[in-house]
Amino acid sequence: MAENNGGGSVWVRTGQILTAFFSPIPLLGWLSGAVFAIFLEHIIGNSLAVLLGLPKIPVLFGFVIALKEPTLIPGAIAYVSLIFVIPICIIGRLSSPVTNLVAEKLLKLPLFFSVVFHVGILYGVLHFWSDISPYRVLTLKLTLIAVMMTLSLNVINGYMGEFSCSHPGFMALGAYAASVFSLVFFTKDRIFGEPLLSPVLGPFMFPLALIFGGMVAALGAMVIAIPSFRTRGDYLAIISLAFMFIVKSMIENLEVVGGPRGLSSQPNWANLPTVFIWTVLCIWIINNFVRSTLGKALNAVRDDEMAADAMTVNTRRTKMVAFLFAAFWAGVSGGLFAHVLRYVNPSTFGLQKLAEVLAMVYFGGLNSVYGSIVGAVSLSILGEMLRPLEIYKWIFIPLLLILVMIYRPTGLIAFKEFDVRSIVHPRKRDKE
Amino acid sequence: MRKGLFLVVVTLVVGFIFSPCTWGAPKTIKIGINAPITGDIPKVGEGTKYAAQMWLEDIKAAGGLDVGGTKYPVEIVIEDNEAKAESAVTTNLKMITEDEVLVIVGPQSSKQAVPAGDVAENYGTPMISPWSTNPDTTKDRPFVFRGCFLDPFQGPVLANFIKEEFGFTKAAVLYDVASDYPKGLAEYFKEAWEKINGKGSVVAFESFTTKDADFSSQLSKIIRSGAEVLFTPQYYNEVALIVQQAHELGWSNPIVGSDSWGSAETVELCGKNCYGLFFSTHYAAAGAKGKTQEFIERYEKKYGYVPDDVAALTWDSLGIVQAAIQSTGSLTGNIEKDRQSVRDAMAGVKEYEGITGKMTFTEEGDPIKCAVIVRISEKGEFEFYKSVCP
Repeated sequence: MAENNGGGSVWVRTGQILTAFFSPIPLLGWLSGAVFAIFLEHIIGNSLAVLLGLPKIPVLFGFVIALKEPTLIPGAIAYVSLIFVIPICIIGRLSSPVTNLVAEKLLKLPLFFSVVFHVGILYGVLHFWSDISPYRVLTLKLTLIAVMMTLSLNVINGYMGEFSCSHPGFMALGAYAASVFSLVFFTKDRIFGEPLLSPVLGPFMFPLALIFGGMVAALGAMVIAIPSFRTRGDYLAIISLAFMFIVKSMIENLEVVGGPRGLSSQPNWANLPTVFIWTVLCIWIINNFVRSTLGKALNAVRDDEMAADAMTVNTRRTKMVAFLFAAFWAGVSGGLFAHVLRYVNPSTFGLQKLAEVLAMVYFGGLNSVYGSIVGAVSLSILGEMLRPLEIYKWIFIPLLLILVMIYRPTGLIAFKEFDVRSIVHPRKRDKE
Repeated sequence: MRKGLFLVVVTLVVGFIFSPCTWGAPKTIKIGINAPITGDIPKVGEGTKYAAQMWLEDIKAAGGLDVGGTKYPVEIVIEDNEAKAESAVTTNLKMITEDEVLVIVGPQSSKQAVPAGDVAENYGTPMISPWSTNPDTTKDRPFVFRGCFLDPFQGPVLANFIKEEFGFTKAAVLYDVASDYPKGLAEYFKEAWEKINGKGSVVAFESFTTKDADFSSQLSKIIRSGAEVLFTPQYYNEVALIVQQAHELGWSNPIVGSDSWGSAETVELCGKNCYGLFFSTHYAAAGAKGKTQEFIERYEKKYGYVPDDVAALTWDSLGIVQAAIQSTGSLTGNIEKDRQSVRDAMAGVKEYEGITGKMTFTEEGDPIKCAVIVRISEKGEFEFYKSVCP
């Protein structure tokens, strides 16, 4: 290492050591570390928190309390490193020979088993992590819904390369359609009166309500998809923005669904497993969609529509399908949103929501399933964690966005394929 | 290795012995404030926060909250809900489960108070929304209360007032169809007016959408309809535009408004055009007496402007919370039991003397209280004109 590079070399060396230490850990290893950490928190979390002078188990990795009361920062850091960081790293590393072996064995079976195994453990981790506090459950549910939203917008803005602003509109359509479906058929309420079917059936029919919501949103998307054949770029952005406002004022003027007062008392069916399953389904299906021929055609349309047309890509059909598909998932996420909050109001689906979801897409990265997940999770959790900063939060988060746009103009993880096989693959021991 | 283990055990034991050092002292009472500090309506959040801080000062000066002879220290947990429905829900849940607050004051606007009230109800935590006028906020929710009168009361109050004051028979209404509060109030007013003056006595029922700035077509229609009075339950920024444009088009009859006019900005934006107009509200700042005057003067001195109705209602809501906690007689320290007893005490509040009038809760958790009719004076002040009680 050169002399003049002395300051940097320490960092480089630490980086190398850390990479060497962590590289043999497969996903399964990290997950088993997380499982251990969660159990640790369940067993000694409370007493450790008391010991460190914290009022309770820190809910969101200590941020929420540390920002309110700066004296608690050392305690919060100690808690997070003792319960999460150190155990996850150590268990992950120690178990890596075993987990690598298991991962290898699983890969010999069809990929499906391996994925289900990993997703199952991931759900277990999230379930028991959020078991500590209902606040964690709610934050997790809203985060998962944000992932669905972001992913579906990425299909249009990232993969198709159009700037669409109509997503809150699709979400509103989905939210209202799914709510009306479950209120009319399965719930007794003030607006629609007695349920038409037995409420016992309700939870089983909930997927139907969500699909109905998605369908209605897709139907709405047709209104935009048709003009989108003629316009591109800024003009489409304006048309889709107009669509969002049309949906908003339509609902405001529809007395049947409560008008500006909103629609409340949706049944409480959107529990954590339901939201999780739908999110996994959404990621799986969208990932397959964008990796399919149709997805590649979508990229071709984005890069050069004329050339794509010349190469026998049916650009009309491609755009249409992508629009309806994205709107469908936005509608499903809206339906889940309505059932998590158990209240919807047209003004929820306005410009603020649009700005939020656009920020998540561009922060995470265009044209990337990975990026959408990272963007949605980090911005929603960050928004929740930095809440105690009040107005300064709105300086910090935009600043972060600006920095990302300067150093990574297409977002954190853009144009990267979400390859499930390589994720669950066992890691090779380095240089063996 | 053994030594290390020994050390850990010793630290744990010592820690456990000393951690409950505070057991002897009374537990802190935590009050949650769910306010829109950032977002669309930051002024509302600011008023809420300031009123809460003033209240806390009083409690601190008294050395804590006296419940059955024991002085409990009080802590206020202020959370920002960004004026979003989902954030109001998460902050409410966080305050209930993480901060373990005894009572929640807020959220202010209905679009947040309705879903947040659901959380408070499910977790058995008393909540009082000082400003929310949507009936759904408190409906079928024994744990949820509100600090202001409802629109079904305000509409008839105004209709009666106009009838008695001017003796008019033909009224016009101009309202925002996309906003929950003006729309509801416009409908209640119409209903009440037609009850007094017969069907068809509301000669023009015109609407517009939020953020519209040109009302000339609706106003010309209203002028042509031969209405004698214009009722417009809008917010301050729209009031200024509506009144100015009406006067430009030649309208010279009275214009009457509702409690949404009660912001200092109304007169600032509207100027001389608004002098001499009437509106109904929760309290009148100019010419206030007693406790109300004391509150206004203190607030103005501290923060530099006359408090609007949100601050006054928040102050009263906190007062009711305080009275309820004190009337429980004693706190057990078990948060669930205490929440239940505070809720019962709150439901039993009778004739609470607040700065916005006397309050008694109905079974739904809505207060029965008087409305105040205010006249905007020639100096641009909100002058008390008369009080209307149910």
